Amino acid sequence: MSAILERVDEEVLEAPNYDGEFDAVVVGAGLAGSAAALTMAERDLEVLLIERGSSPGAKNVFGGVLYTPTIRELVDLEDAPLERYIAEKRFSMLSHDDETAISISPGEWRREPHNDSYTVFRGEFDEWFAEQAVEAGATLVTETTVTGLLREGREIVGVETDRPDGEIEAPYVVLAEGANSLVGEGANLKATESRENVAVAAKEVLEFPHGENVIENRFRLFGDAGVSYHYFGEGAVGEAFGGGFIYTNGDTVSVGVAYRLEDAAVNEQPPEETLNLFKSHPRVAPLLRDARTVEYSAKTIPEGGAESVPDLAHDGAVIVGDAAGLVLNNGVHLEGTNMAVESGYHAGRVIADANARGRTDADALEAYGRALEESFVVKNLERYAWLQETVEEDRELLFETMPTAFADAGAEYFRMDREPKAEHANRAKRAVIDALGGWRGLAKLALRYRKVVT
Amino acid sequence: MSAEPDVPQITNDSMEDRLYTVKYDDAGDSHLDVKVPDVCARCTTNDCVSVCPANVWREGDDGVPHIAYENCLECSSCRFACTYDNVVWEYPETGAGVTFKKG
Repeated sequence: MSAILERVDEEVLEAPNYDGEFDAVVVGAGLAGSAAALTMAERDLEVLLIERGSSPGAKNVFGGVLYTPTIRELVDLEDAPLERYIAEKRFSMLSHDDETAISISPGEWRREPHNDSYTVFRGEFDEWFAEQAVEAGATLVTETTVTGLLREGREIVGVETDRPDGEIEAPYVVLAEGANSLVGEGANLKATESRENVAVAAKEVLEFPHGENVIENRFRLFGDAGVSYHYFGEGAVGEAFGGGFIYTNGDTVSVGVAYRLEDAAVNEQPPEETLNLFKSHPRVAPLLRDARTVEYSAKTIPEGGAESVPDLAHDGAVIVGDAAGLVLNNGVHLEGTNMAVESGYHAGRVIADANARGRTDADALEAYGRALEESFVVKNLERYAWLQETVEEDRELLFETMPTAFADAGAEYFRMDREPKAEHANRAKRAVIDALGGWRGLAKLALRYRKVVT
Repeated sequence: MSAEPDVPQITNDSMEDRLYTVKYDDAGDSHLDVKVPDVCARCTTNDCVSVCPANVWREGDDGVPHIAYENCLECSSCRFACTYDNVVWEYPETGAGVTFKKG
């Protein structure tokens, strides 16, 4: 029945009838999809992993850091294509020409397993991770696009692809198609996210053709250590709600901006222009000077949080990763890769259990949703569910007033003149307190945002 | 943006050069379209143009955007941004479209 499978493997070609060939079809060989495929293959399910790109990762973009606590339990990362581990996190507020920053660099991060945080290239890593699923027994087919789902009544019984005779039946479908989830939306398994809840990101990978050890010298690195720098405030993404980033890879850096689509539209602020302004900021430009662009990329990020997570289990199908809106951005924690892998793992595990019991109904697959709710994935999303709206209300204060106020306070506190320090300290204190609405305003603000860090 | 001393000039690639950094396989047909051209003709905000990171959507003479689909990085911003839900977005067929080496 499926011509596409002829390209996959001889054994399949010889089979007279492919119905029942696969227990599960996974749509998309990103981190969530491959985690699900691997988990099911290891439990002896016949798994078909379908990727629309020329290889896994070919269509995938992310900021830059892979968090590995779950994936390390699934595969041996010894031979994985990792770039650098994160030895320093730096959070920086930018006004138009000031920077106030905090840097965290615990000794522990320099020792294995490096707080499970590594820069990678998705073009390389996702291909490697999909290979691990194939080694576990999954069948991978690339350059094949899933265009819809097959149904029998309410039940999802397979997928439709753009290959000739490309219908493939399987009792279970795992939707891991990413933020642009056309299949899930087309099948009414999830609603289209509103643009207030979607960020657009533009990113460049830069290399430094002039000179030796440029990255090590500029970012104070040695060996495999790397950094993640996060920027917010007016100097990062203008009036938009979002931020900028720089991550160090082996021989390149990834630099980018990500902010709400709503703001890009209303402020008429195209991503490329925003990226250029960020790169030219007086405190950012010295880190990026004399670079050459290796790759330019873009993506959308689902940032709707807990409220935007769709029904995860359906009759014959589950939704994982970005397609399920599993991304955490609370300004300090920017996570998605770990949540993708965790969701793929639980989905795969639950499907294998259901398969052993001959169940495909949503009630049986709901165990996946429950597992995710009990895991860090949904717990973290719920913990910060209040944040988006609150930040939106305080946007001007947080992104425009505060970066300037802190910079002014710093300038006052350390002012070198012939006045006594008591005067400087007092003026520094006033700079912050006045800008943030007096002691009352400051106390309210601290109360409002205490849960970001406590 | 700043007259501040001791700040190096950053030179950025043009959009054209940036798009040259990714591999593009032309499917022959556009994977993007508008559902109802009249809706675009009446639209005054052109959000598709503002949000596109790759200059795919360009203001057209008749108010209907010109779509340079071969520039597309497949981020899907236009689809979410259009408040009239007037964007047709399909995955390019059989692996065509953009390929990222790094991502």
